Amino acid sequence: MKNKISFFFKPYAAILFLENRVAGGLLMLLTFINPDIGISGVFALLSTILFAEFSQMRQAYLEHGFYLYNSLLVGMGVGYLFAPSFESFILIFLLAVLTFLFSFALSTLFSYYKIPILSLPFSIVTIVAYLASLKYSGLFSTILQSHAIYTLNLPLYINAYFKSLGGIFFLPYTISGIVMAILLLSVSRIMFMMSIIGFYFGVGVHTLLIDSWVGALNDHYAFNYILISLALGGIFLLPTLYNYVIALLGVALGVILVDATQVFFNYYSIPIFTLPFNMVIIPMLFLLGTIQYKGFNKIIKKSPEESLSYYLQTLFRFGPNVANIALPFSGNWNVYQGFNGKWTHKGAWRYAYDFVIEKNGKSYDNEGNFPQDYYCFGQSIISPISGYVVSLRGDLVDNIIGTVDRINNWGNYIVIRSDLGFYVELSHLMQHSILVKEGEYIHLGQIIAKCGNSGYSPQPHLHIQVQYLPTLGSATIPFRFLIYKSSNRLFFHSLPNEEESISSILPNKFLQMQLGFVLDDVMRFEYYKENELIGIQEWKVDMNYLGEFYFTDGKNRLFFYNNDSYFYFYNYEGDTDSILAKLFLLAPRIPLSNLDDISYQDTIPIKLIESKLKRTLLEFFSTFIPNISRRDFDYKITKGTISSSFGTITLDKSSKGFSKITWGENNYLRRIS
Amino acid sequence: MSYTKPTINRVDFAMMSKYGSPHKTQKVRSSIDGVDLHELTKEYGSPLFVFSQRDIEDKYRVLKDAFSSRYPNVQFGWSYKTNYLNAICSIFHNLGSCAEVVSEFEYQKARALGIEGKDIIFNGPYKPKEALRVAVEEGAKIHIDHLFEINDLEEIAKELGRTIPVAIRVNMDTGIYPQWSRFGFNYESGEAYDAIKRIHSGGLLKLTGLHSHIGTFMLEAKAYGMETAKLMQLKNRVEKEFGYEIEYIDIGGGFASKNRLKGVYQSPEVIVPTADDYAQAITDAIYSYSNGKPLPKLYLETGRHLIDEAGYLLTTVESFKRFPDAKKGYVLDAGVNLLYTSTWYDFNIELDRHYNGLNEASMLNGPLCMNIDIISEHIMLPPLDRGTILTISPVGAYNVTQSMQFIRYRPAVVLIDNEGKSHLIKEKENLETINQNEVIPEHIKIK
Repeated sequence: MKNKISFFFKPYAAILFLENRVAGGLLMLLTFINPDIGISGVFALLSTILFAEFSQMRQAYLEHGFYLYNSLLVGMGVGYLFAPSFESFILIFLLAVLTFLFSFALSTLFSYYKIPILSLPFSIVTIVAYLASLKYSGLFSTILQSHAIYTLNLPLYINAYFKSLGGIFFLPYTISGIVMAILLLSVSRIMFMMSIIGFYFGVGVHTLLIDSWVGALNDHYAFNYILISLALGGIFLLPTLYNYVIALLGVALGVILVDATQVFFNYYSIPIFTLPFNMVIIPMLFLLGTIQYKGFNKIIKKSPEESLSYYLQTLFRFGPNVANIALPFSGNWNVYQGFNGKWTHKGAWRYAYDFVIEKNGKSYDNEGNFPQDYYCFGQSIISPISGYVVSLRGDLVDNIIGTVDRINNWGNYIVIRSDLGFYVELSHLMQHSILVKEGEYIHLGQIIAKCGNSGYSPQPHLHIQVQYLPTLGSATIPFRFLIYKSSNRLFFHSLPNEEESISSILPNKFLQMQLGFVLDDVMRFEYYKENELIGIQEWKVDMNYLGEFYFTDGKNRLFFYNNDSYFYFYNYEGDTDSILAKLFLLAPRIPLSNLDDISYQDTIPIKLIESKLKRTLLEFFSTFIPNISRRDFDYKITKGTISSSFGTITLDKSSKGFSKITWGENNYLRRIS
Repeated sequence: MSYTKPTINRVDFAMMSKYGSPHKTQKVRSSIDGVDLHELTKEYGSPLFVFSQRDIEDKYRVLKDAFSSRYPNVQFGWSYKTNYLNAICSIFHNLGSCAEVVSEFEYQKARALGIEGKDIIFNGPYKPKEALRVAVEEGAKIHIDHLFEINDLEEIAKELGRTIPVAIRVNMDTGIYPQWSRFGFNYESGEAYDAIKRIHSGGLLKLTGLHSHIGTFMLEAKAYGMETAKLMQLKNRVEKEFGYEIEYIDIGGGFASKNRLKGVYQSPEVIVPTADDYAQAITDAIYSYSNGKPLPKLYLETGRHLIDEAGYLLTTVESFKRFPDAKKGYVLDAGVNLLYTSTWYDFNIELDRHYNGLNEASMLNGPLCMNIDIISEHIMLPPLDRGTILTISPVGAYNVTQSMQFIRYRPAVVLIDNEGKSHLIKEKENLETINQNEVIPEHIKIK
């Protein structure tokens, strides 16, 4: 029941880009300061649910918020104009159905380009409603102007902001605006800031154009500036300085569109409500989405702050969003040429790596006159990804040192299609050394060929590049190496420098099994404090509806993932003082390889280590200086134990999981089953 | 002047490389790990065995990494017979190897180096009972080769009044020819299973390991996959039927080195499997057949693969002549007395510097007054001088242990350490070392 009621609040919050149910409930209550609007809104929601249930489309409105918030807006829009009556209810019901139809049609069309439909159905349906209502004069509300008591006597330039904010809910009063502003501030400082900046920037631009400060402040539709500013400054785009500029540009465009649509629609006495907002945001997101704009907020969280922290955490811990591949060999190799290399990695082929093996600064023994003098010649090449072999060639001879094959410059090669969609090309392989077949599925770490000297290769080496297309030698795209070792340190999602000596870290089936937790796996521990047994700690593996796996102690949830190269925790929900939360701090990432005496760095989310107040400030200011919310810690692996400033955690040798966990002053868990 | 048959030589296209060398057909080595060859022979004499500590350690690490990155519990056992020079064994023990011996002599050698009994694997078809008793008492891992050994061990167990943990050696068909079926008990015929049944029925021995060794210089990594799979299947069966807990499997050795077998055209880099190839085949098979049980400890007894390429033999050209068939013949100061493996390998032979002149068909002969003393029957070489030092490699495996004191003294052996400093690890023999064990009965002594 509680869920059903809060489900009813969601569309209210969604209008302000919020997910908070309490905020939704408050906003719903707020609409009742004008009962016409409150009642009409609720009735519109009920109508939509009724229609969806009747047409057996429950799943549609449950999954997609826009069905409900669009009809809610339509309902409130009708209530703004007409007092509730039998006739107005009929009108609302019909318009709710129409909104549902438009929402479905538009979302189906738009989803092809991955553009949200926002409140466009509402904008279209209200135009229809108001045009039709010119004939339904009997319905007009008689109390249209009777809410002056909700307007306080504040200076115009302050009042205008609150009124505009209230206008989003058809409640253009100071009081409603203040309530909404407090709501925004409590949920997100960034949104609050953007609502103010957006509003006054829009008004400023408008003032310049119409040459009237008062006129600009009093514009009924100035709330469009706020919506545009919120949508671009933290919701659909990440809340960064760069995107704030884009948001303000959007606001300026909004000013023009507000004026243009007003002139046109006022002729027919049609209010334009959020039409300018939709007209700015939709093409803007279309453009930015199409060009794969980097500042796009791919995973929209509950607030811009959360979206940004999630984005920054991901960036700090897992690097930029590019292809990640393992090293294509085992053991110790040297980078001969990296991205934008000085010999051949240029132009469309700049994102490539060449590797050789060097000993004492030389890649060959003796004088290097024969391919077999080169240390890498004949070494195993292993698959850097899992995927299908799409093409290969293996019959070209290995060049005599000092000559190259200018015709078949890629030499013997293998192109593999990653399960994630990109292609990896490995070149200059040894003649007749390829062990795989075209069309074969190969696994990360599988031996596939030997390093050779075929193609445009003056000395034996391995060339690797990542491409969007399967064609041999097509343009390259940036990538990173998932994991490698360089002088006793592990690097994740990084790129080694030229001349750097790096070692590959092979994933190990034993560790993959040891940390391959499956649903309902349980780890039970005895909890000791000052060497006294004070309780039992039990963690169980569970899964949520998104298919994400987590450990739970019954209350808190610690999300993990195993990407075949390393195991990691990526999210924690619940009480940050719990022992489960310590697990994240102690072992945020565990390589699935036998390693000893090796250290690495990882970044811990600030929500686990900073106080709430400090976190709030950090989250806000990291929109300007992202690095202030970065918290790096050093980890060291010694014989199956990971130690850090937080404590130690030891992998169990005989079963899945961990055998001993210590932290703080004399606290430890000892595995019992 | 007597008639000499004319020689016809192919003119090599001497291509300029980016390194500017026109001598693309001469293999040249002037130093080992930075130590000049002439300095070495001047100090220690010629011929001279030279071992590179760096090569040994590099090779060991690569193989160890290949296995331990794929498998959590790997132990290498240094195969003493491959090269049991104390210094060489010490390097391997320092790197973490235990000892793998096949006789009481090798056993004693390991013990004398300070290796504890528990760190010795005792293999071989002939283990004298007295040696077995010592090994049992000292806790060595005994790999049973035949049924008589089971009897011997049971008697020892009775005498000592305790159960003896043992392993058996299994031979099997892994698709390799020739199949090594001389050692241990056959898998396919059920002999191995019967032997275990016999051990179980005796109740005095406890089976804790399974061992196999499928051959030598194996050029097919898949054979090891098959070997491992069969050992794992046997392990699963005897664990289920007899309740044994097989703690380890020992897959033996036989990994090839980068040596060139006679009659093989391609270079070793092309046909010799890499450490990764062997490691992947073996560890994949263990995982495939582990049945979710604790993984056994994996022992490897790799010898040749680890030491062969680290060993060089320096030899000096003493004379040359032209044979009646126009072939150039060189007499070196090292021959088959020192190069037991020359029977089946075409060694890599390198010159100490570039020589002017065209390559011509040549033959390399050793110093023995024996017609069979041939190191290379046909090799294309430029005209060499007297005093030219040739480096013959890889000769690290078996050549030192199997070199003969025949006609000549055996040479000194030198180790070059990681800093490029040479150390004498075995002195050149002299009359005293040869004569010390000989006895002339009084009545025939020359007066």
